[in-house]
Amino acid sequence: MTALSAIRRAETAPETSRELNGILNLLTCGSVDDGKSTLIGRLLWDASDLYEDQREALSRSGRTAGGSAHPDFSLLVDGLVAEREQGITIDIAWRYFDTETRRFVIIDSPGHEQYTRNMASGASHADVAIMLIDARHGIKRQTRRHAAILDIVGVKRVILAINKMDLVDWSQERFHAIETDFRELTLRFGFREAIAIPVSAVVGDNVARRGEHMSWYTGPSLLEHLERIPARDTTPVGPFRMPVQLVLRDGLDFRGLAGTVSSGCVCVGDRVTDALSGASAHVLRIVTMGRDLEIARQGQAVTLQLDADIDVARGAVLTTAESQPTVASNLDARLVWLWETPFDPRASYLLRTATDLAPISALSIKSLLDLETLAAQPAQTCTVNDIALAGITLARPVAIDRFGANPATGSFLIVDAVTGASVAGGIVSSATSADETTAASTFRLTREMLEKGLCRDLGDSEEDRREFQRRASEAALLLHAAGVPAKLDL
Amino acid sequence: MTAQFSHLGHLEAEAIYIFREAAAQFRKPVLLYSIGKDSTVLLHIARKAFWPQKPPFPLLHIDTTWKFKDMIAFRDKTVRDLGLDLIVHTNQEGLKRGINPFDYTPSIYTDVMKTQPLKQALDQYGFDAAFGGARRDEEGSRAKERIFSFRAAGHRWDPRRQRPEMWHLLNGRLGVGETVRVFPLSNWTEKDVWRYIAREGLDVVPLYFAARRPTVERSGQLLVLDDERMPLQPGETPQLREVRFRTLGCWPLTAAVVSSATDIDAVVAETLGARTSERQGRLIDHDQSGAMERKKQEGYF
Repeated sequence: MTALSAIRRAETAPETSRELNGILNLLTCGSVDDGKSTLIGRLLWDASDLYEDQREALSRSGRTAGGSAHPDFSLLVDGLVAEREQGITIDIAWRYFDTETRRFVIIDSPGHEQYTRNMASGASHADVAIMLIDARHGIKRQTRRHAAILDIVGVKRVILAINKMDLVDWSQERFHAIETDFRELTLRFGFREAIAIPVSAVVGDNVARRGEHMSWYTGPSLLEHLERIPARDTTPVGPFRMPVQLVLRDGLDFRGLAGTVSSGCVCVGDRVTDALSGASAHVLRIVTMGRDLEIARQGQAVTLQLDADIDVARGAVLTTAESQPTVASNLDARLVWLWETPFDPRASYLLRTATDLAPISALSIKSLLDLETLAAQPAQTCTVNDIALAGITLARPVAIDRFGANPATGSFLIVDAVTGASVAGGIVSSATSADETTAASTFRLTREMLEKGLCRDLGDSEEDRREFQRRASEAALLLHAAGVPAKLDL
Repeated sequence: MTAQFSHLGHLEAEAIYIFREAAAQFRKPVLLYSIGKDSTVLLHIARKAFWPQKPPFPLLHIDTTWKFKDMIAFRDKTVRDLGLDLIVHTNQEGLKRGINPFDYTPSIYTDVMKTQPLKQALDQYGFDAAFGGARRDEEGSRAKERIFSFRAAGHRWDPRRQRPEMWHLLNGRLGVGETVRVFPLSNWTEKDVWRYIAREGLDVVPLYFAARRPTVERSGQLLVLDDERMPLQPGETPQLREVRFRTLGCWPLTAAVVSSATDIDAVVAETLGARTSERQGRLIDHDQSGAMERKKQEGYF
């Protein structure tokens, strides 16, 4: 399969039953000046199934890129009117295109430093990232920052697209110089694969096809390389994890735990454990509409019926006995501050994990990443676009993994309890279990206290128990707001 | 079954996950059911997400009174067969004022008969979350849409107040006065919708299949006459043409395409080979530049 065989509607007879072999999420980061929109537009134009009305609209648009004879591909990508007027891309845009074998999802993220948060959130969805630079300028501060963000949110494959090769006379020396800098940069991070490709988005060389101007280059074109990368969720990796989203019922006989397998797999008959309560039972049925399954694999949405009625609800993480997440109250984390409102030590925050939501009793910023030197600088505050090392103490334990070991159950959001905003996104570097540290000044809010007053009206139904948890969390948040660190002892 | 996960399997699992997150996090959700192919897929996945339970929310249809008769028949049969709760809401004020798609511009008509009644119904029943079948591939301003799309009081969509979404984590904690639109099919394309309908053997409104229908040609678009309310312009005589629809809405505002695809396989084949985007058949989107973005800010889905 080469890039040249990439599907073109007009040339390919459609097959009714064809399904594509998986999905690859592709982040593009760089700025307008680097020709990012042009690169994406070129990829869509040359490699994909662009509709004719879209092609015509582009040809009619009357704008041409830099006065050249090519259509302005960036018009395919720049969505919102506000953005078109400002000539910048301020938010992530999602584009879809298919080649013969595969669905590509292009996550187009803005490049400038004031949009670091957009880039980080876009990157968190990516299987591979294209970092775009201008061949005339080489690797700059922005590329270093992008590499650092990609590394933090867990992107394992990166491509450096060295664009505008036409403006440096297709120079092999220039390419090699930049490639050497790139090697040096990527060694600092945990990427599995890093490759540099010389391209010209305007002319088209090495985007979807090889082109004629750089015969000295023997590597793959961008699209060729992308088509070789394995799709997401192709093989289950890691230990079994299923965060429970909901409990489903049908009459008196059916009680099922609904969720998506976030890693590994589980079979009928396997013994599964809820890390939080320690309760365990065997899988009796793996239920989906239409048919039961024998095995549920990473990425599948299922409902597990267990052979014993253990007390498991939303927020639990089902696992197999041999590999448990940590039931943690203290986390060391790296986070990206996402919201305009800066970190406020007196504000009330919640920790949103895969399916749990727990009150935070203390959040402290330890250092900020200097985006110039990539070194950590001691700090106590944190604001939008900052990347920080932080310590988090929870009012009650959650089941959580180290991000490096298990990304789906090792990432989190920090939520402002009052506005609901997602103020930060982060990953767990280390988690320590509940009983190791509790400061003497911490107030212990027990089940008994809550039952006497605040939750007096609640019974033992599933709904009431959920409401009990909710009120307990809110009470802890109020105590926190009043300056009293609280721990829920339920 | 192989370990390899097809792209439709992946998209289905993602949509189920989104349905479950929303059902767990919001107090009173509703599914906005507009009867078309996207709603058909949306409803099917909602059933899968909560099986063997029924979906824990009702359906809401905003009836402009200008929907194709076949659409209404299909809606009523679907709801009856599946035993679901359906709320039908029409802007009675707009109806009284005689707002119709012929005498008013598409933007006025859409605002009064679609956007306003949607807001009315959401407010009247106190729904805090509404599922919709919108896809990011439909249109430029949709390409930046979140899965949980927050609306301020008055259902206003402000792109700058949208929450960043990271990994699979969906944060549904609402601020005061906020509601949310939830889009489980965000990452689907038109082709995926048809492939999935074929794969799952779903029934769709017969208007998606080619048949000889009375049509007139207006501004290069083929309109099907669904009842007697359409005033003909001088020189127009309805002609029987073999046509079908790629997208369904109000019949005076939805253009048909000439086609001989009379079954699902033919429709899928035609869609995979299509040379124009589906929104070309939506007359309301061409009204003015940035039309969809503006409609969204006003509260349109």
